Amino acid sequence: MNEPSSVAASGPPARQQTPAVRRDPLAIVVRFQSVIGLVLVIIGGIVFSPVRHGQLLFLSPDNIANIIRAISETGIIALGMTFVIITGGIDLSVGAMLGLNSVLTAMLMTNSSLGLLPTLVVVLVAGTAFGTLQGLIAIRFRLEPFIVTLAGLQMARGLALVLSGNVYINISYGEGPGLAPPIFALLGDRLFHNVVPVATLVFLALAIVATVVLNTTRFGRYVFAVGGNERAARLSGIPVGWVKVAVFAITGFAAASAGIVHAGQFSFGSANDGAGYELTAIASVVIGGTSLFGGAGSMIGTIAGSIMLGALANILQLNNVNASLQLLATGAIIVLAAALQTMVGRRDGAR
Amino acid sequence: MTKAPLLEMRGIEKRFGGVLALRGVDFDLSAGEVHALLGENGAGKSTLMNILAGVITPDHGEVRVDGAAVRFSSPRDAQANGIATIFQELDLVPGLDITANLFLGHERMRPFGQLDNLTMQREARERMAAAGVDIEVRRLVGDLSIGQRQLVAIAKALSYATKLLVMDEPTAALSATEAERLFGVVRAMRERGTAIVYISHRLEEVPRVADRVTVMRDGRIVGERPATAPQGELVRLLVGRPFDELFPPRARTLGPELLALDHARFVPASPRAGWQAPIDVSLRVHAGEIVGLAGVMGAGRTELLMSLYGAGLRGRWEGGLAVAGRPAKLASIAAARRAGLALVTDDRRGSGLVLRHSVARNIVMSVLRRLSPSGFLSPKAEEEATRRSIANFDIRPPRGDLPVGNLSGGNQQKVVFAKELLQEPKLLLLDEPTRGVDVGAKGEIYARLRALTQQGLGVLVASSELPELVGLCDRIIVMRQGCSVAEFPGGVDERILLESATGIAGEAA
Repeated sequence: MNEPSSVAASGPPARQQTPAVRRDPLAIVVRFQSVIGLVLVIIGGIVFSPVRHGQLLFLSPDNIANIIRAISETGIIALGMTFVIITGGIDLSVGAMLGLNSVLTAMLMTNSSLGLLPTLVVVLVAGTAFGTLQGLIAIRFRLEPFIVTLAGLQMARGLALVLSGNVYINISYGEGPGLAPPIFALLGDRLFHNVVPVATLVFLALAIVATVVLNTTRFGRYVFAVGGNERAARLSGIPVGWVKVAVFAITGFAAASAGIVHAGQFSFGSANDGAGYELTAIASVVIGGTSLFGGAGSMIGTIAGSIMLGALANILQLNNVNASLQLLATGAIIVLAAALQTMVGRRDGAR
Repeated sequence: MTKAPLLEMRGIEKRFGGVLALRGVDFDLSAGEVHALLGENGAGKSTLMNILAGVITPDHGEVRVDGAAVRFSSPRDAQANGIATIFQELDLVPGLDITANLFLGHERMRPFGQLDNLTMQREARERMAAAGVDIEVRRLVGDLSIGQRQLVAIAKALSYATKLLVMDEPTAALSATEAERLFGVVRAMRERGTAIVYISHRLEEVPRVADRVTVMRDGRIVGERPATAPQGELVRLLVGRPFDELFPPRARTLGPELLALDHARFVPASPRAGWQAPIDVSLRVHAGEIVGLAGVMGAGRTELLMSLYGAGLRGRWEGGLAVAGRPAKLASIAAARRAGLALVTDDRRGSGLVLRHSVARNIVMSVLRRLSPSGFLSPKAEEEATRRSIANFDIRPPRGDLPVGNLSGGNQQKVVFAKELLQEPKLLLLDEPTRGVDVGAKGEIYARLRALTQQGLGVLVASSELPELVGLCDRIIVMRQGCSVAEFPGGVDERILLESATGIAGEAA
């Protein structure tokens, strides 16, 4: 910006000297941190991949299928979690909900002999209702989502244990009472030359829907506004309460979907499954560049973050690194991602 | 009288990225002097004062205190030299009480590391009294109004400022009486030999508190005058145009009645201490006019506006309340908006804008339902609305993609106005519409408001700046303790307004 040659009084001076034209390189890194991270992890995977029969194990179709299959359940949960976190909330109940819904799916199809479609509908409605209820409780009693969903976690787990009697509900396939329709087992299969897991396709489809909803709908914009400044959103006539309930309905729906996928992949429902998935999902969201303070984030980031965590775990497994060290590595990456965001946030917000 | 300069700043330069914020500034200050520093937002005042406070370091130039060159690398350095600053952003902790805030980082301890609360409370009361403030020191800062917090911040800074105190817009959130009390405190400090840099947007305050005034523009000093210099001259230095042009001519024709309150009262479901519900308010606003609300802090002006907008406490209106001639309840924000009301709050950063979102996103926030009827966003409609708003309000820089938090205060406020007016309201409620807004942007906002009233908009505006009410409004309603007590025509003498608002001339107390 050139200096004005004189300060002589000629009309109002150009006050704001466009300070934000500077494109902070760090901000760009953060914006695409999960994608960059994913690329780095893939490069790392190739470099450190064990070689078998002259082929890189990491890039073998079987291994890639393993990675994307392994992340499909937590990935689906992370999609829903992204909405909640952008509003500034959190949902801790999703892992337990996965367990509950896997039990519900298994029981409805075997014990109750409900058909495939009715089962899916009932489970999805139940999951969505559970999430909705949590949202309603949070806004009606002005409770922190953290507390409400912590309680929801306990209740979902408890309910699942009661329903299942704390045993695996096995799903057997066939025609007749007590047997599930064989087509449900498809969720554990792979398509396209035995490469693409069906579970991953479910994740992919939901990911597309979630991206479209967040980026191109009015509801998506409201989610950002509520998380960015709730009071401003309320005074601007945005139905804040409705938005906050809706995002919990979405996590409930996502957790139910993940529960169905889980039951289909493993052919059983188990009350104790899904423990800790909520934390993996939150990690994927944060690595994906979504702010835990709300108001900023991206669905693409979450998707890349999920895949990155899955790929990282896979590399470590291929190299026989033990599980404890995997946890350490994941923790370090979360801290790095969050620190990067905060550094940029401080530059932007320091006024 | 000639005093040796306590502070000398010579040839100060500071560059932020590509922007030269200070271009060789000289500034000095003597003990026992109040030196007013004026300038529009972005003129460089805050940068200069941040250098003095040790928040940032200059690229060139030197700072001398008592003749000795100093280089502050942190606010602590500056404090150690007896220099304290009250920033616009109040650095108070809402969750702690006043005492704890006053002693934050300097707590008095008893043996064995326990807090000596009794001593701190006693000293806190003394400090508050010294600052001319009467608020119980055990109250949480979070429960105080913005104005009261400002007074606490002043009391806090006074305890560090042995030599020099920088006050950055100390009266921005204060009512007239509180401001008056503050001037008393400033004068008392001057008597004690403290030097004060006084930054303000309110020109009329300058002769009342300051000895000398310096005007900055575009990172330079453009003039230094005695504080008694005529206001018109200062405005010319600030913006390069005369003061009279700030306020547009008044309304000629009135349209239909938009809002009518007849002994209306708002009954909160559960009253809250410090929230002055409207108790007995009668007023009318017609299309085409600007009606002002005057009153001291706590008179209930903000509460009235919030309750009209359905955004106050839970509760209901009783008595006569009609919008556009029809009885109304205005029980929720949605209902108020359906009735054609819009609100600009007194806190644009806290409740007006999403600071980290772009200008465009903020502008269209309240009209998304109209711009995207299908539920899917319409980038084209948003772009068009943004472009028009930016042009209408002359938002600078004229770009929709910048985070709104990066704009100057005046331009942020223009974004708030643009956002609310996109809804095409019939009645616009304004609460302190030009707080922290520079003179130039003020003039533009006033002009735009007048233009809109000529197209049939009605405006109800609460302001603590009496010149603003007197200059801008067609009529002014005075409020006291939740009641409307008097009405004056625009252009009324400020002193009469002040007397009415404080109750000096009204009923016998």
